[in-house]
Amino acid sequence: MMIIMKANATPQQVEHVIEHIKAAGLAAHLSQGLEATIIGAIGETHNLPMEQFEGLDGVELVQRITQPYKLASRQFHPEDSLIPVDGFHVGGDEIAIIAGPCSVESRSQILETAIAVKEAGASALRGGVFKPRTSPYSFQGLGEEGLEYLAEARSQTGLPIVAEIMSQVQVDLMTRYVDVLQVGARNMQNFNLLRAIGQTRAAVLLKRGMSATVEELLMSAEYILAGGNSRVMLCERGIRTFETSTRNTTDINAVPVLKKLTHLPVILDPSHATGHVDYVAAIARAAIAAGADGLIVEVHPNPAHAVSDGKQSLRPEAFAAMVKQVGQIAQIMGRKLAVASEYSKQGWA
Amino acid sequence: MMIIMQPGAPRAQIDAVIAEIEKQNLSSHPIFGVEQTIIGAVGDGHYVAQEIFEAFPGVLEVQRISKPYKLASRQFHEQNSIFQLDGFSIGGVEIPIIAGPCSVESRAQILEIAQAVKEGGANALRGGVFKPRTSPYAFQGLGEEGLEYMVEAREKTGLPIVAEVMAVSQIKMMEKYVDVFQLGARNMQNFNLLRAIGETRTPVLFKRGMSATLEEMLMASEYILSGGNQRVMLCERGIRTFETSTRNTTDINAFPVLKKATHLPVIIDPSHSTGDSAYVAAIAKAGIAAGADGIIVEVHNDPARAISDGKQSLTPEAFAKMVKQVRAVAEAVDRKLVAPTP
Repeated sequence: MMIIMKANATPQQVEHVIEHIKAAGLAAHLSQGLEATIIGAIGETHNLPMEQFEGLDGVELVQRITQPYKLASRQFHPEDSLIPVDGFHVGGDEIAIIAGPCSVESRSQILETAIAVKEAGASALRGGVFKPRTSPYSFQGLGEEGLEYLAEARSQTGLPIVAEIMSQVQVDLMTRYVDVLQVGARNMQNFNLLRAIGQTRAAVLLKRGMSATVEELLMSAEYILAGGNSRVMLCERGIRTFETSTRNTTDINAVPVLKKLTHLPVILDPSHATGHVDYVAAIARAAIAAGADGLIVEVHPNPAHAVSDGKQSLRPEAFAAMVKQVGQIAQIMGRKLAVASEYSKQGWA
Repeated sequence: MMIIMQPGAPRAQIDAVIAEIEKQNLSSHPIFGVEQTIIGAVGDGHYVAQEIFEAFPGVLEVQRISKPYKLASRQFHEQNSIFQLDGFSIGGVEIPIIAGPCSVESRAQILEIAQAVKEGGANALRGGVFKPRTSPYAFQGLGEEGLEYMVEAREKTGLPIVAEVMAVSQIKMMEKYVDVFQLGARNMQNFNLLRAIGETRTPVLFKRGMSATLEEMLMASEYILSGGNQRVMLCERGIRTFETSTRNTTDINAFPVLKKATHLPVIIDPSHSTGDSAYVAAIAKAGIAAGADGIIVEVHNDPARAISDGKQSLTPEAFAKMVKQVRAVAEAVDRKLVAPTP
């Protein structure tokens, strides 16, 4: 950490800052320039709040040099993390394609979609049963009934299931049914939920908040990792910008940035990141070309009648075409599409 | 255009709007609802300013249905525009790569880089001689002297040259030297400059402003097209967002969106859109995978000593590696890189 003193800081103020640094168990390195005094604080600073120094008299600015996250960082864990998900691994050579409807709407809808996405090459099934809808009057999800349909879809197709958890009271229920807990963009900084998930050993798909920086996403991942749950996958799903032609703006830069900063796998959600079926395949290809480890895509057998996200949901045929294109990009990147094992058909162990 | 009247707007106000619609040579289609009246204005309305109607008493909102641009739109020109440049085409199957330094710094520098990027697989040479630097105290470019070095580099390598024009007063002089004008992000809405470039017949690499929507970009390109200069190539170079880990945020969505909205070729600039050489190759590949028609990338023989943009400039070796990777992605999306310049 670098502490830059005000131009008119007194020697007593400088001394006071140095005492604070030493009290925190760090070494202080004083550098007195012509115009400004800079004090370096050296040691394990990632768990030290910057605010502590920003409030001291005579301090102009505090700059962090090391990253504020540790378990998520590549420095701490140089090799890519491989997250096992029922027969395949996310984060290695295999590219996971998670597909399914925004919401589980009925037994027949999820079974039909599961079979269709499996045939087209999906490696896991998504489907929301607790839905964080913008309007409290919109469909809020089928709850546990939906989870039972998802479990049935898993036993019929062998696809592991990914579903969103909205609250820590749902942890016990959800971990009994699902293979991967999804934390939605709106809950990226629901720290109680993150801590509760950190106590489980379920795989997690952590979505970036729509106005969260990459660093904030990694800090949220740190909450889960710090609880002892190391099976975290990050997901870029588009950020809020001034552009209005798409629902969100895919931050494609986040893919190589995250791959550099962290060992955790990075998944891209081209459905939410664009908000429009016409753009999903192009952004899915771009994601894999940029180095993403997987995709999560909304697919619906009848988008025009979908309860939610119809505009951005691919038909099964369009999804199959997308998988083919993504497979070609994966191949030239030296990777291959993941295939779910038959394990799930036997039910949840 | 749909004109939505305020709830309870009196008949006289509705009639006044209808009269104005007809005065603008459009036909009016009012829909009288229980609470509100909506009036459709039908016809070729792209040149009619919606502000006219917004100011009428009783009008709640005006919504444009058709695009406000015409010549740039795919409706007007269904097929992809393909431009022939010196030694390659753009907008068709072929993907050209434009590479070179941010700024022309010296004769030796541009000649060395030109040779290196040619060997690495570039099809055109970029190099700024008039530089729109954030600080007025930063290096502002070599001006005409730099253009002479660029021309020498073209003679030696056969690569056509792309350089930024910053002012109307530079057009005549630059036309003598360059093959493609670059219109920089900061000048995307310099409408006098756009009109003047529209009067030339020099191809234009047209960069998106850092806070411009895609519609604003297409409207700005319309200024050039409406002057009769058809050879406009659009360039996504990253937009300003809240994210701080990169210089800009590459709006990768812009590629499929623009390819749907317009017939003009779309190029990616991964150097400016990331600001860090570590991310350039990944984003170049992503651009081509998303449907981009070309790449413009900063390359410097000694990035650590570059006068500008050193952090985002690739070394010639890293550039050659990027070209190899991009070639594979191009083939995976049924396209190909332009064959090397002999």
